[in-house]
Amino acid sequence: MSNADIALMAHLMRRAGFGATRDELEQLVEQGYENVVEDLINPGDPGVMPDDVIRRYHSEMAEMRELNSAGAYWMYRMVTTRNQLEEKLALFWHGLFATGYSKLNQASALVNQINTFRRHSLGSYKTMLVELSKDPAMIIWLDNHDNHRDNINENYGRELLELFSMGVGNYTEDDIKECARAFTGWTLGNAEYMSTRASRDSIWPYSRINWHFNYRDYDHDDGEKTFLGHTGNFNGEDIVEIIVQQEATARFICTRLFQFFAADEVDEAGEAVINDMMASYFESGYEIRSIMRTMFNSDYFKSEDARFARVKGPVELVVGAVRMAGTYQEPTFGADQLARQTMYMGQGIFQPPSVEGWHEGAEWIDSGALVERVNFVGKELGDPGNPGVKAIIDRMARQGQAVLSPEEQVAACADLIGPLELSEATTTSIREFANEQGPADLREGTRTEADEQRIANLLRLLTATREYQLA
Amino acid sequence: MTTATAVSAGPVEYVKTIGVTTNQSGRGFINPYDCAFTNDGRILVLNHADAARQALIRIGVLNWDEDYLGEFSKGTGRGEGQWTLPIGMTISADQRIHVTDEHLHRVTVFDTDGEFVRMWGEKGEGAGQLNGPAGIAVAADGTVYVAEQYNNRVQVFTAEGESVSTWGEYGDGAGQFNMPWGLTLDGAGDVYVADWRNDRVQKFTGTGQHLATYGSSGAGDGEFSRPSAVAVDSDGYIYVADWGNERIQLLDPDGNFVQLLRGQATLSKWAQDFMSVNPDEYNTRQIANLVPDLPDHLDTPYLISAQTEPYFWGPVSLRLDHEERLFVVEANRHRIQVYQRRKD
Repeated sequence: MSNADIALMAHLMRRAGFGATRDELEQLVEQGYENVVEDLINPGDPGVMPDDVIRRYHSEMAEMRELNSAGAYWMYRMVTTRNQLEEKLALFWHGLFATGYSKLNQASALVNQINTFRRHSLGSYKTMLVELSKDPAMIIWLDNHDNHRDNINENYGRELLELFSMGVGNYTEDDIKECARAFTGWTLGNAEYMSTRASRDSIWPYSRINWHFNYRDYDHDDGEKTFLGHTGNFNGEDIVEIIVQQEATARFICTRLFQFFAADEVDEAGEAVINDMMASYFESGYEIRSIMRTMFNSDYFKSEDARFARVKGPVELVVGAVRMAGTYQEPTFGADQLARQTMYMGQGIFQPPSVEGWHEGAEWIDSGALVERVNFVGKELGDPGNPGVKAIIDRMARQGQAVLSPEEQVAACADLIGPLELSEATTTSIREFANEQGPADLREGTRTEADEQRIANLLRLLTATREYQLA
Repeated sequence: MTTATAVSAGPVEYVKTIGVTTNQSGRGFINPYDCAFTNDGRILVLNHADAARQALIRIGVLNWDEDYLGEFSKGTGRGEGQWTLPIGMTISADQRIHVTDEHLHRVTVFDTDGEFVRMWGEKGEGAGQLNGPAGIAVAADGTVYVAEQYNNRVQVFTAEGESVSTWGEYGDGAGQFNMPWGLTLDGAGDVYVADWRNDRVQKFTGTGQHLATYGSSGAGDGEFSRPSAVAVDSDGYIYVADWGNERIQLLDPDGNFVQLLRGQATLSKWAQDFMSVNPDEYNTRQIANLVPDLPDHLDTPYLISAQTEPYFWGPVSLRLDHEERLFVVEANRHRIQVYQRRKD
């Protein structure tokens, strides 16, 4: 098993998921790259922390009323799932179809929305857009419950075209109006009571009542509509059918997926990959799975140039660190801190800054966010008592010299936490720190807590490097 | 469309609903987890609260007429009488309130004025130690029984908190447990344990001899999904909080299925008070269907209950008051539905 194979697999798992431990990487390399891609895009049993155990321990996650607890509930799943791409894609859709708690006052609706994304993540984009249009959180978020047969509200129709499919410049204002007409009557059950409660942030008398989609035939405008050159008595499904046939839609969704998974910026070589992804989109009948397969198997994605070319988003960073540290594997008191931490770093789950989602890439990093990023991750990986850190230390003891020089410690830590390709400057400064600490004796029987802490200190330091903060 | 599990006819009838949710101290419940009844007619409600509202953990006090009588709490923390995750409560014949705390791994005893009396327990597997104490019951002679979810056992204590014996271990055989939760005693002193992750109820003598097992995994009559609590009335009828199925089942004294309850909450007195001063909500509620047909993907008991306000949602405890009225404590709905078995 070559280092190159490990490095490539680590790259895939950072992008398609939240990263992998060395033991996991070795198993994956044995499977072969393309087989791993197939497993990622054809997820099986996720093996996540069981819902019953979560709900018994966390009353707040049973009731699903509080924002950060709902976020942490999702993060439990990200931390424990075997289907990393499934959750990474759910996170992608959450950013693309950005829906926020502030207007809804209904965390459970957002959890259910994520469940919807998960169900349709790798299937047809057409189905995804139809289900999105039926999603109660989206209906309230973009006011479709106020979109009536005799008094249309264009908000959802506009964003469906601008932010969720084609993008500006590919439709007219008339298309927006016709689109809105087609989605009249698409509302949620007990819309009047639920919207009143949402606007008043009411939990009375007996806590939140979850939402569900309801189609009101009597409030639907069944008249003739002309949309993108097509004419008919269109309902919402018909509009989506026309939307997904558009090249602009294919380019839109493929570009967004490319930017999330492959590279923040699209260069000429990236454009070629996007064209291939668009071909897969049409050949497969708009299937996201096919697009992902094309992207992950592209030479571009696998090239060394593509590695460490994205800034880890806060959720990616936190989940990746927790997975590597082996913490939060069972219900944990104060787990809502997981969600709070990502918020401090600029990505509050269920709290996108606007309907446009988060501005990603370099914008994740500012001085305040960087401090939060380094502090949280350093704490997780700087504690030798955490199972994942202990596993790294044990592995070092097994695979190398049992007494590691400072130089060997730096090399081993960078290898097992990534592998990270450290710059010369980074290597030099970390070696200086390691030299101050001295050698680490990891031999069974003579190993002390101080030896383990030396390794943990280096891991902590490495999490602060530019290299670790990139994916 | 998803339809809810049918509610079967039987001797248990709905009486009324007590409580309303709150976000502050005073009247109302916040994630109630258990209740108990004093000899002078007071109803005590253990408010577990949640991670974001730890300061609101308390025992609220009211009476059958739903008059709010006050509350007591020593606050959250590790000090004497304080709580972190209190989940089980009972009251002894000598009117001592016993509360388990699954995070602090201890039992705390109060008098009915809320004054701290004693506490015992620390995390561990040894005698006298506790790991995730949950259900609790006190026998007429003061003997205390505690179900330990993470030690998978029942531990017996004297009234003063000295460990007397333990029984049980992890497993699914007779006398074994998987994260037991609720625990109760019948009139003969036999012990019933809601063997939560084994989807069954087990019955023991007071000294731990296994007598019977009721139920198996499933959603049919007499089957359970993660039962959280059990109560037994003076005629031996067994009530089970079928938590994962969001329902209550009545079994006869031999454990045979009798009746299924799905919940039929109405507005409590406190809820009516809220509605009377919030006409916007009341008026739109009046035209709402609170038992709606749901899309097919919302097909689990949990999701159905989350959308169907009258149904049980998170039934975590069952207790019988001195009149043998059944109090179903719903953590997620912040209320108690009261039922009573006809004895004709």
